[in-house]
Amino acid sequence: MKTKYLLTFPNEAAEEPITYRLVKDFDIRCNILRAHIDEKGGKMVLEMDGPADMLKKGIQFLKSKKVEVRSIEEGVRKDEDKCTQCGVCVSICPVGALILDKKTWKIVFNEEKCVVCGLCIDACPTTAMELLL
Amino acid sequence: MVEEKQLRTYAEINRKIESKTVSVMTAEEFKAKVAGEGLAKAAKDVDVVTTGTFGAMCSSGVMLNFGHSDPPIKMQKVWLDDIPSYTGLAAVDAYLGATELDETLNMFHGGAHVIEDLVRGKAVKLRAIAYGTDCYPKREIESWVSIKTLNQAVLFNPRNCYQNYAVATNGCSRVIYTYMGKLLPDYGNATYCSAGEISPLLNDPLFRTVGIGTRIFLGGAQGYVAWEGTQFNAKVPRSPNGTPRRSAGTLAVIGDLKKMSADYLRALTMYKYGTSLSVGIGIPIPLLDLEMAKYCSVRDADIYTAVFDYSEQKRARTPLREVNYSELKSGEIAIKGKKVPTSSLSSMYKARQISNELKKWISKGQFLLQEPIEKFDLEREFKPLDVRTKEGCK
Repeated sequence: MKTKYLLTFPNEAAEEPITYRLVKDFDIRCNILRAHIDEKGGKMVLEMDGPADMLKKGIQFLKSKKVEVRSIEEGVRKDEDKCTQCGVCVSICPVGALILDKKTWKIVFNEEKCVVCGLCIDACPTTAMELLL
Repeated sequence: MVEEKQLRTYAEINRKIESKTVSVMTAEEFKAKVAGEGLAKAAKDVDVVTTGTFGAMCSSGVMLNFGHSDPPIKMQKVWLDDIPSYTGLAAVDAYLGATELDETLNMFHGGAHVIEDLVRGKAVKLRAIAYGTDCYPKREIESWVSIKTLNQAVLFNPRNCYQNYAVATNGCSRVIYTYMGKLLPDYGNATYCSAGEISPLLNDPLFRTVGIGTRIFLGGAQGYVAWEGTQFNAKVPRSPNGTPRRSAGTLAVIGDLKKMSADYLRALTMYKYGTSLSVGIGIPIPLLDLEMAKYCSVRDADIYTAVFDYSEQKRARTPLREVNYSELKSGEIAIKGKKVPTSSLSSMYKARQISNELKKWISKGQFLLQEPIEKFDLEREFKPLDVRTKEGCK
């Protein structure tokens, strides 16, 4: 089971090796997609992969450290009214989450592949790509 | 060279359009027909081929007339939703350019955005100042205008519809922001800006049917080719099929903004570069003879352009390689041994929509073909701006 979470760190949790504990104690495969944490705390977008029971335990552990955990259904949104299907975002996306459908010539956004890196946001000339975090 | 036997005239085509018996195909459909049935049969069966493009065209803007206030004002400076407009014309005429930014240089709001708002029927704030004269005593005004209140709102774009364009990439070690979009370091991506085989001027590479007066699809309404576009340059290397291998011809186009639609005119912000306007243009190509049919049968694999490193900050960049549109549209090209993802700045989806829409207009008898009143001068030289002396101008 693979899910993306937005973690909000309070200042007291900022200096602990929390992702290390998730890997070591709960055998969760962690993939840090975005992180901005300093001594005052901060935010991290983390993809966690593992059996459902271990993920549950891992989340309980995070909560015990006062880390706020929110699962992310969507981190980036593509506004179909604003999009002109130009495709400038396609070559910017590092994981192939934005692709040109060669039959319809529309730009298809695959949210599951998106790692919320945000590279497409300022590349879009019609501000159709929105970062929701 | 293909034998130049006339197949049909403009008058014959227009009679068929009026009687709704014209045979019209989009460029895509025509190319597929040629591939399946051969050129001679396709040329015999089809009267008109419709093309389309929808891309960033910076050299765009609208001529506006506001009407006179009471007492009247001779506007000296004008702002529309805080975007300065040029008013060095008669009292209440102004030209709003797509790339003009507000005075805080906020790139997310420029002339193009005001043009899109006007097309969408939104009210726009007008502010003007003046020095006041005996005949135009008023010295300032604030009011609201919309597409309905304006006397004229004429889209007049001095350079649109580039016949082919460069491919941009970035060989330096930092991200660069250009009018060709965001370019990732170390040849991280490459962007191009032409619809390729369905783009209007690549289907009439030597301007046999597109010239001054040609009636076109412009921003969702009927418009016209007003003149050659600025920087028009026909003297570039060409492939045996006649298509230019570099940026070449351009068009100045004109049409009534009041009849246009935001589906085909869209404001753009190229981050850290500025604003621009995406303009939808469609041109019908009459298959007057076998040569025109041959031109319209050109495929992406036979249309070439060159890749340039946009981190090279000079006028004449060195081409890294030549590439065809079939390769570009595949999503990946090789640059210096590296596989580089490509993507388009111009919308193929919209280009296809435009060629279909124009086909519909022609089939329904709503759009007649106009033979060019005058053809373009293909021998004109494209000159650079050098720092020169007064005498150097002779």
